[in-house]
Amino acid sequence: MNKILIIEDDRTLCAELSNLLEKSGYAVECIRDFSNAYMQMEASDADLILLDISLPGENGEALLQKYRKVKETPVIMLTSRTEDMDQVLSMSYGADDYITKPYNPTILLLRISAVLKRTAKTVQTEMYRDIRVSFLKGSLARGGQEQILTKNEMIIFQVLFDRQGEIVSRDDLMTALWDNEEYINDNALSVNISRLRGKLAELGAPDAIETRKKQGYVLK
Amino acid sequence: MTVSGFIKDRVPGLVIRAVALAVIIIFLAAFAVPFQAILAVTIVFVMAATAFELWEYYRKKKFYNRLVKALEELDKKYLISEMLEAPGFLEGDILVDTLVECDKSMAENVAAYRRQNKEFREYIELWVHEAKLPLASMRLMCRRSPEIENKMAVQLGRIDDYIENVLYYARSENAERDYVIKETSLKKTFGNVAVKNREALQMIDARLETSGLEINVLTDGKWLEFILGQLMANSVKYRSEERPVVINVYAEESGTAATLRFRDNGIGIPAADLPNVFEKSFTGANGRKDSKSTGMGLYIVKNLCDRLGHGISIESEEGVYTEVTLTFNKNDFYTPR
Repeated sequence: MNKILIIEDDRTLCAELSNLLEKSGYAVECIRDFSNAYMQMEASDADLILLDISLPGENGEALLQKYRKVKETPVIMLTSRTEDMDQVLSMSYGADDYITKPYNPTILLLRISAVLKRTAKTVQTEMYRDIRVSFLKGSLARGGQEQILTKNEMIIFQVLFDRQGEIVSRDDLMTALWDNEEYINDNALSVNISRLRGKLAELGAPDAIETRKKQGYVLK
Repeated sequence: MTVSGFIKDRVPGLVIRAVALAVIIIFLAAFAVPFQAILAVTIVFVMAATAFELWEYYRKKKFYNRLVKALEELDKKYLISEMLEAPGFLEGDILVDTLVECDKSMAENVAAYRRQNKEFREYIELWVHEAKLPLASMRLMCRRSPEIENKMAVQLGRIDDYIENVLYYARSENAERDYVIKETSLKKTFGNVAVKNREALQMIDARLETSGLEINVLTDGKWLEFILGQLMANSVKYRSEERPVVINVYAEESGTAATLRFRDNGIGIPAADLPNVFEKSFTGANGRKDSKSTGMGLYIVKNLCDRLGHGISIESEEGVYTEVTLTFNKNDFYTPR
């Protein structure tokens, strides 16, 4: 289980963030006392840090700058500032991503998992049942049989696969697609899912994606 | 200063001197002073008076003509006190002192307003920042009830939009340069806008078509995001109920510039209103139909484009479409204001 450290001084927001992340299967640690935020930040063994820019005392950019000299743990900046300069600065100080408030929760989760994946340098292929999933090639293979997925199908499969066994709402799938600049509508999503089902069926997994009425889909 | 104007101004003095001369002549005549003596006195008197007036005329003319000319040439008239030389006569000295005092007082006044303005802007920036925190919390909270999440997200999105409007209005009215121009990916910038508006677009079942966005332009990413967000909001607001909503965004690059076209198939803008849509508080015929129009959106957009040095134009046919074109200059021709 990946552990995430939240450095955010707004109590409500911090609590809501913890709630969201815990429900999505992360362990969460929060900083409550900001008098020595940096010490706690450096001492933490988290796999990823969510860092607010405006903090009491030292601001997030300064913390990040110091932290990067010592540790490589991925950092995602969260901010309500809307200046390009802040983003440019944060990225130059070594932030892995930058998200402005109010953020879409699904996108936040997607970005977190993307950053974690990128830094974990996971193998480019993973196994789903006896099907080999190649994210780089965008294909599914079983034995000598290979099915090439379109970009949309791959995005859908990846979201379902990352949350295997959980119900994934159509909205979450939509958000993931739109976040990848694929602006499809509701009908097109249905079409893509049925195509993906077809391809999975070819590979001997016709029951892989189950529809839960009014809730979404589950990859079994 | 003209001769006739000067003489007119001196009439009382001249009249008094003429009367005095007449009285002197009558006196001298009464004491039976010889005619030649009276003539000599009169000539001396008139010559002295004339010489004095001429001297008076020339030294004043020199000062005031310079003043008038300097005032004409200045485009910032309030700088006049900096342009004057010492006049060397009483009224002139008083005038110059007055102008200098006035200027000083005005400068203090302007500085006070400027400070007030700056403080207000800083407060707005801070306020926007603060207002976004509860918004972010609420956005996370509404995830707990999936059945209303989208509807809530749309409404929260609207609040966020209004908040940003205030921020960018304050920014666009400010003379300070607080933007960062850099190579910005149109695809990514538009992507952020699209994701932000996804729920709203999906609720009206709008189709979003893009092409050619794989280019970089020189702009401030956040400002451009706001601009595109406003255009998107307009397309949603002024959609036509008669047909499915289609929003077309396409970009192309030519030798010296890149253009981004943002086109919808909404209700369009009446030809009579079209030239005025970028004006402050202009709502037009469409605005009167929709009570939510403030007439500020496109005004702010135009202002931001002007400041970034981007071109913006609008084309529309009532009942058919509206198309806004943004033009981004390439490096060599880039001239921000």
